[in-house]
Amino acid sequence: MNTHPTKIERRIRLAGILLIAGLLVELVTLRWSHPTAFLFFLLLGGLLMALGIGVYLLSLVSAENKPPAE
Amino acid sequence: MTGNTTILVAVILFSIVLIAWLVLRPSITATRGGKMLAFVALLIFPALAGGMGVNRHIERSKSTNFCRSCHVMEDYGKSLRVDDRSFVPATHFQYNLVPRDQACYTCHTDYTMYGDFNSKLRGLKHVYAYYLGKPSQPIKLYRPYNNRECLHCHLGARSFEESEAHTKDPQALSRMKLNQLNCSTSGCHNINHNVGQLKDATFWKEQAK
Repeated sequence: MNTHPTKIERRIRLAGILLIAGLLVELVTLRWSHPTAFLFFLLLGGLLMALGIGVYLLSLVSAENKPPAE
Repeated sequence: MTGNTTILVAVILFSIVLIAWLVLRPSITATRGGKMLAFVALLIFPALAGGMGVNRHIERSKSTNFCRSCHVMEDYGKSLRVDDRSFVPATHFQYNLVPRDQACYTCHTDYTMYGDFNSKLRGLKHVYAYYLGKPSQPIKLYRPYNNRECLHCHLGARSFEESEAHTKDPQALSRMKLNQLNCSTSGCHNINHNVGQLKDATFWKEQAK
């Protein structure tokens, strides 16, 4: 059995880690009522989540997923 | 925690669990079901949680406690409890003329199409000034207070339209409505936060309900 993760699996893993980090930032800032929390959520949480979604979308269109040429 | 926040926290936690499963077992995305799961967990749920989070943060930024959480706003928050009816914001706050939990926002947002958006942009500018710049002391409004914000509630009210002070001069009401005669700077309702007078003021102690 091949246990090496493929490129798409590595990208999904990276996307997941970025998204979890972004969601944790969101969770923490929800408990903190201060303008700085809003800024953290918007800049740090937003950036991590956007990167995560971006990496996932990239994995969908990566060359590895293209059907083999006939 | 309000109902909306509880739902949002549940969405975030559920998303984290789904994503963690994919992080630990990325090989499941090789199957059709795994691909659908990845789409939901890595795109739909995070987008939903992000959107709900933005909404929640914007709603919370309208609260009086949020505005008072910055050190420079403490005296302005205190001025809402001055036991003197000539203090316009204090009267509005103590007599429930504005919702107490959104007292600042109710009077300090522009009642225009992009008023909400503009007030949030100004808020970001304030955070920048707080950490990286220097807030002006005392804090000043960007431009003279617009009657439009008062008229949002008072327009049409009998106390406004038929008040003796407002009808003594037949032109006064129309000039107020056109913002040519300013409510707060024309000498009538000019005692506002006046934070410089707080050290001599007495404060209203709210009775427990």
